[in-house]
Amino acid sequence: MTQDNRSGRPQGRPSPGGSRLSGVEAQLRGPFLLFFVSAVIWLLVASVLGLISALQLRGVSGEIFTFGHVSAAQHNLFIYGWAFNAFFAINLWLTSQLGRFELRNAWLVSLGAIIWNVTLTYGVLSIFAGDLNGFSLLEMPRTVGPVLAVAFLLSAFWPIVAYAQRPTGHSFASQWFVVGASFVFPLAYLLAQLLVLWNPASGVVQAIAHSWFIQNLLLLWLGGSALAAVYYFLPKVLGRNITGYYLASVAFWTFFLFAGWTATASLLGSPIPVWVQSVGVVGSAMFLVSVIITAINFHGTLSTRSGWSLAWNSTTLRFISFGAVAFTLYGVLNAIFSFRGFNAVVRFTSFSAGQEQLLTYAFASMVIFGAAYFILPRLTGSLWPSAKLVHLHFWATAIGALGSISASLAGGWQSGKLLADPAVPYAQVLTASAGLASASVLFALLLLVGHLAFALNAFGMILKSSAPAAEGRHD
Amino acid sequence: MTNPKLLITGVFLTVALPFGALLLSSQVQLGGLAPAPEEEGGALYPATVPGLAVQGRDVYISLGCIACHTQQVRPSGQGNDIARGYGDRPSVARDYVLQSHVLLGDRRIGPDLANYGARVAPAPKGTQTEPEKATALAKSLAAVHVAIHHGNAFAFLYESGTQGEVPSERAATLAAYLLSLRQDYSSPEAKLKK
Repeated sequence: MTQDNRSGRPQGRPSPGGSRLSGVEAQLRGPFLLFFVSAVIWLLVASVLGLISALQLRGVSGEIFTFGHVSAAQHNLFIYGWAFNAFFAINLWLTSQLGRFELRNAWLVSLGAIIWNVTLTYGVLSIFAGDLNGFSLLEMPRTVGPVLAVAFLLSAFWPIVAYAQRPTGHSFASQWFVVGASFVFPLAYLLAQLLVLWNPASGVVQAIAHSWFIQNLLLLWLGGSALAAVYYFLPKVLGRNITGYYLASVAFWTFFLFAGWTATASLLGSPIPVWVQSVGVVGSAMFLVSVIITAINFHGTLSTRSGWSLAWNSTTLRFISFGAVAFTLYGVLNAIFSFRGFNAVVRFTSFSAGQEQLLTYAFASMVIFGAAYFILPRLTGSLWPSAKLVHLHFWATAIGALGSISASLAGGWQSGKLLADPAVPYAQVLTASAGLASASVLFALLLLVGHLAFALNAFGMILKSSAPAAEGRHD
Repeated sequence: MTNPKLLITGVFLTVALPFGALLLSSQVQLGGLAPAPEEEGGALYPATVPGLAVQGRDVYISLGCIACHTQQVRPSGQGNDIARGYGDRPSVARDYVLQSHVLLGDRRIGPDLANYGARVAPAPKGTQTEPEKATALAKSLAAVHVAIHHGNAFAFLYESGTQGEVPSERAATLAAYLLSLRQDYSSPEAKLKK
């Protein structure tokens, strides 16, 4: 796949940017901040709910706070509230940077933001009120689905428009991932809504449709958007080309090609046709191709000319390289634990929650944090108020994420091993995992502290700047 | 890569392929499944559940029970659900054909419930008299209500009456639903070992 390079820009590196950007950024500022502030608020709410569900406060204040309600609300808010809003913002910004895209209809985007967040609020309140469905990330009442899809199109269809209209022939890896991700989600969401909630498919076909939807959401939308950000910020901040950039298009196509096929590996042993399960196992192994190529691109770039230490000293790259490593780990872990023998041990335990957190938190959320540290000062024209809070944010979230993911993975493996012995009674399995369960409360608390530090810093900065950024760029 | 139409078409195909291959062909393979008799001319299984149990299913969904309970028994090569006593045979697709919303679940914080009804209330033996059957049923119903309490976490489903606790309407339907959960019949895909 050859790149047209009429602009004479070095390949494997995004455009250098300049004074021209401030005008483009000024148009983006309103919608970006609207998405970003909503995202951070939802992150805080989700962290509190995460702490509550880690404490297993089942039924403390009656039927509203059953464990099922709290964990469903937490999951939905973390994904649809935090990650979606944040990637709406970041993808728009990336699009304007890479495609020289001028957002003339900012009000449409803001309308999308308002519809998205109001509908989400209604959906989550419905979950607490007991009006929910039994499929994870489709728990919100089915009437919410079409509205969210419309709001998604208003908020996230712009990268595709921009890509079709871009003036230069040159395109960069980040653009492909953003375009692909923005295109896939509404399609998968509407089809899943149709097959699972509105016109349910026969019996267990619903479960297959649901697993396909989850992989499209988590891998293609969240993962694809996060990969776009890594492809942008790594070379941008380091000021060098992506190592082996010519492989990036292979990474892109293998990523999109195999992600959907990994879906049914999450249903091993379930009452679905065995060939469907086996396809999932093969898909998860094939998915490794894109994981390996992104690893060459990211870790290769970081490994030359003391890239790691440069990355460590840049706030943005400290978070983003953390995320890049997490994605590689996720891909490897996902392939290994798709094999039937390993999967049989960890199926139905906290292990899969740990795997998902590795993708959605250690990868996607850390990349969002890193991107925010880069973008927000440019859009607001002011500095981050407190360096101490930045450090607190990094260490609290890094340790919290590592700890809670390890606790889920280790706890899942341990209880899976115990459950594999039919002589071990169920109560004993619960007692054995009690230690890790109390550790996960601690880690949930750490994450909340980190998110509070981030929110204080970000909101402080946004409030401090009332005028749009014209001059004054601070890195 | 630089051609937007090519990029979008390519992405569309990568999404459409697994959709077609995994979903549409599963629908073709499984869409025609219907309840089947255990033996020629016998009663059809899975049996239709009583209306009270259908209402109970909505209570099960609305309380979020699926966050902790699965309803599927894996075959003996894949985990040891059968040895653990979750069922006498693996679950098969046919067991779920009458459910409008399948509640397979993916997390076991509590035990699997695919055969909960069969565990708590085994099928009555032929030698039992009517009063004996009634006592057995009352006993299993009491056990179900104890289980629904989860210690004290779900006490809000019960009202205090003059003679101790009385299950609310929701608790009664939920109990009926839990008792209806049974895959203790032979299916053409998975025979029970006699």
